[in-house]
Amino acid sequence: MKDNTYIPKLAKIIQIKEEVGGARPIKTFMTQFIQDNSFSFKCGQCAMLSVFGKGESMISISSTPLIRDYLQFSILKMGRVTSSLHEMQEGDIIGIRGPYGNGFPMEKWKGKNLIFIGGGIGLAPIWSVLHTALEKKGEYGDSMLVYGARTSKDIVFKQELAELRKKMKVHLSVDVEEPGWQEFVGFVPLNVLEIKPSPKNAIAVTCGPPIMIKFVIQNLKALGFEDEQIYTTVENKMKCGIGKCGRCNIGLHYVCKDGPVYSWAELKNLPQEY
Amino acid sequence: MVNLEDLKKEAKAVLEEGKVKYIIGYEKSANGLMPVPGFIKSPEEVEKLIWTPACVYNLTKFLVDEKRRKSREKKPDERPVGLVVKGCDSRALIVLLQEKFINRDDVFIIGVSCEETGVIDEKKFLKKLKGKKAEKIEFDEKDNFMVTTQEGKVKVAASEVLAERCLECKANSPLIYDVILGEKVKRSMDNPFQSLEKLESLSEEERWKFWKEQLSKCIRCYACRSVCPMCYCDECVADTINFAVTADTTAEEKAQKIKWLEKSPVKSENFVYHLVRAIHLAGRCIDCGECERVCPLDIPIRFLNKKLEKDAKELFDYEAGFDPEQASLVSSFKDEDPEDFIR
Amino acid sequence: MEKVLDKKSFPQWVTKLSSYKVYAPVQEDEAWNYEVITNPEKVNLDFPNTVLSPKKIIFPQREVYLEFSSSDEDGLELKEVLPEEEPSVIFGVRPCDARALALTDKVFSGDFEDIYYWKRRNQVALVGLACSVPPSPNCFCLSVDGSPFSTEGLDILMSDLDSKYFVEVFSKKGEQLINAAKTLFKPATEKDKKELEKNRTEAKKRISRQIQNIKKIPPVLKGMFDSPFWDEESMSCLRCGICTYLCPTCHCFDINDEVLSSSPLKGRRIRTWDNCQFPDFTMHSSGHNPRPDKASRLRQRIMHKFQYFVDRYKNYQCTGCGRCISRCPVGIDIIEVLDKVSSYEG
Repeated sequence: MKDNTYIPKLAKIIQIKEEVGGARPIKTFMTQFIQDNSFSFKCGQCAMLSVFGKGESMISISSTPLIRDYLQFSILKMGRVTSSLHEMQEGDIIGIRGPYGNGFPMEKWKGKNLIFIGGGIGLAPIWSVLHTALEKKGEYGDSMLVYGARTSKDIVFKQELAELRKKMKVHLSVDVEEPGWQEFVGFVPLNVLEIKPSPKNAIAVTCGPPIMIKFVIQNLKALGFEDEQIYTTVENKMKCGIGKCGRCNIGLHYVCKDGPVYSWAELKNLPQEY
Repeated sequence: MVNLEDLKKEAKAVLEEGKVKYIIGYEKSANGLMPVPGFIKSPEEVEKLIWTPACVYNLTKFLVDEKRRKSREKKPDERPVGLVVKGCDSRALIVLLQEKFINRDDVFIIGVSCEETGVIDEKKFLKKLKGKKAEKIEFDEKDNFMVTTQEGKVKVAASEVLAERCLECKANSPLIYDVILGEKVKRSMDNPFQSLEKLESLSEEERWKFWKEQLSKCIRCYACRSVCPMCYCDECVADTINFAVTADTTAEEKAQKIKWLEKSPVKSENFVYHLVRAIHLAGRCIDCGECERVCPLDIPIRFLNKKLEKDAKELFDYEAGFDPEQASLVSSFKDEDPEDFIR
Repeated sequence: MEKVLDKKSFPQWVTKLSSYKVYAPVQEDEAWNYEVITNPEKVNLDFPNTVLSPKKIIFPQREVYLEFSSSDEDGLELKEVLPEEEPSVIFGVRPCDARALALTDKVFSGDFEDIYYWKRRNQVALVGLACSVPPSPNCFCLSVDGSPFSTEGLDILMSDLDSKYFVEVFSKKGEQLINAAKTLFKPATEKDKKELEKNRTEAKKRISRQIQNIKKIPPVLKGMFDSPFWDEESMSCLRCGICTYLCPTCHCFDINDEVLSSSPLKGRRIRTWDNCQFPDFTMHSSGHNPRPDKASRLRQRIMHKFQYFVDRYKNYQCTGCGRCISRCPVGIDIIEVLDKVSSYEG
């Protein structure tokens, strides 16, 4: 059973936090392995979470690898498995197998300024790399976060964002005007244009709805960013997570194995089928 | 006899007048005797059309495709689609009209009569040829086919190679059409429901054993469902995903979709799939025989639908696909309907 | 090792293999399929090709790989379900089907080796049967770097020389099978070898279908992703699953949980074959489907087999068995499609 990657390891949910309520709720789960704690991963990698009896779902790990006590996942309620996760209580058991995927190439980013651009639940995959870079402050240049959601109620990690402001520049936005909102109003790509981050010695990492990513990349290029400086993550329907079931391919790449992290230079050459 | 040139002429005329988007007919295959569905888009392409006893396919299914295609287009071409139909195919079309799945003006029907014969069962035909390769098969006078092999031409009695369902045919000429080719003639070989006699003579245990064996072979390729014109549901009992999902469908709705059967191709699930499908086709199946023709494991699933067709006739005096205005069997009732099962 | 076996002695060889689970093609009505042999006397290798390839024995259509149940200790108990330990032999494997297994071997190796596939693969011996006559009018193994007497993936290859079989052995597993009935085999003579050569030269000539310019195809395909070609070619496709399920090289699978009881929880996790031609194959939970129409799915099938797989593994993911051509309900012919691709100017 040990070397069989298909068999999940059992983990207990030790904390559940409601990030966003309403029709499209998001909850953050902290999990702890029951027996085997040898799990180690790179930023940007994902794990297959099992709800036994319902199925599995590939979720990006949003905690930093520097924390060994628990794994953190932020999950949007979307279908059968995620609905089941949202109904769980602290103490419930799930399965976790992984880590899968290629992770962010952080070694290539040493000394560079990091610009994180997220939308909605897209902040979760970035969260891991953002905190890792912050912890290892000396190794990287200046960091900045540009993040927006539909409304202020849809913003995830609200408390953590307030803390984060003390350590780095954080630019928030909501899509439409709302009473009491002091910061930028408009879509995230427009906020990026407004802020005008410099492409000099910089790397941009963006995650969010596909349409947002499309325009963020467009605007970053307009600001002078090269294709190799822009990174994003791709999602696709996955089942095995290890590049064998054939489902998640984009061209010859399996997103679960060769992705989900891609630079725009790589991604633009793949068939746009995701 | 149906003259192929007349068929081409009709097709050409309607394309030249711009009356239809394209015509779906039978085209010669580059490889082998069986034709392939042809999509004739311009008057010049009508030369590709053929009409032979090997024109087995029920092309009505492509109307379901056309509807799906239109729903995806922003500015769809509203012209009808031309369709070459045989008698049995026209009954499938009538069921689609009965159920208001399509409108009469969505299709321009080019009807072709099978006259005194019908279409072949490819397996029976190959067996009859005993290994010789057939280059051509044509309709001949009365109830014969003319087959051309490398050794020359030979007459073959149609009754020896006809598809099973042709021997029980209820409509050897299209019942609905915009143009009709060939004559409506009475056929002598039709004996409705004769193919069920063997199975009906078996005991319940023997029949159960038969179906256990047959349905264990099923690999759930869903070819039977894919080829059936009446299987057009977006939300099929066999799928665990509901295709009618939109951006507004809530997570609860998706999570609560009942899994009626497992994906595993085991006996229990195969039984559920085939029996539920047969019941969903009760009073709708017009016996085009396509389901059985396409099955790669040669499972005789046509019998399941045929039996229900017989029940519909005997219990409710109902026959599908004759009258576009007729209500569907399961959504209508008459005072005379049998009640002996109500206790 | 090259030996000769009298055809009349073949059933005796099979009888001597009683310590193995023996599979061979069995006829039911008109169709042949691999079944477990209970009566070795009845093994008959006079068959064209089976409907389903021997892949189904090594990579079964349904496989339970994990069982889960509620437990008092950790809340849940997981039990790995591995394939039974049973040395097996498959007789009558056509060279195209054996080559196909050599290709699926590549997929299931690499990072995260698939333990279920390999447990079965390693305990099965494949005894091939060369094709003197193409089993199907749609065979085209020569076009995809195969041949009617290819030995790739096989432990033994038998070639039919009328009254006898020429038997070539390539592996230790194969040798063990021969040793189980040593006395039945005679060493191959020069005359036998000459007969074999002649048989093979003739066999190659009998394959009538071929793909024109297959070497042109992978680079041409690369530029065809956005072409309307796929829409036209897929117009008659019914989106059934026949081509993919019958294909000996296809390997896509699904993973699902089947619940036997919900409280206390008891169930199993199962892997089943899946099909990229089914509309729901790539459908996301959100309802977004990267391949919503038949054109994109046909494009995926052709490009995966003749471009993506070539880029990754340097082999076409097709061994020319012709099953997809023979059984497609609407006569979509992969050779025709590929010929159109190689002459495509877009």
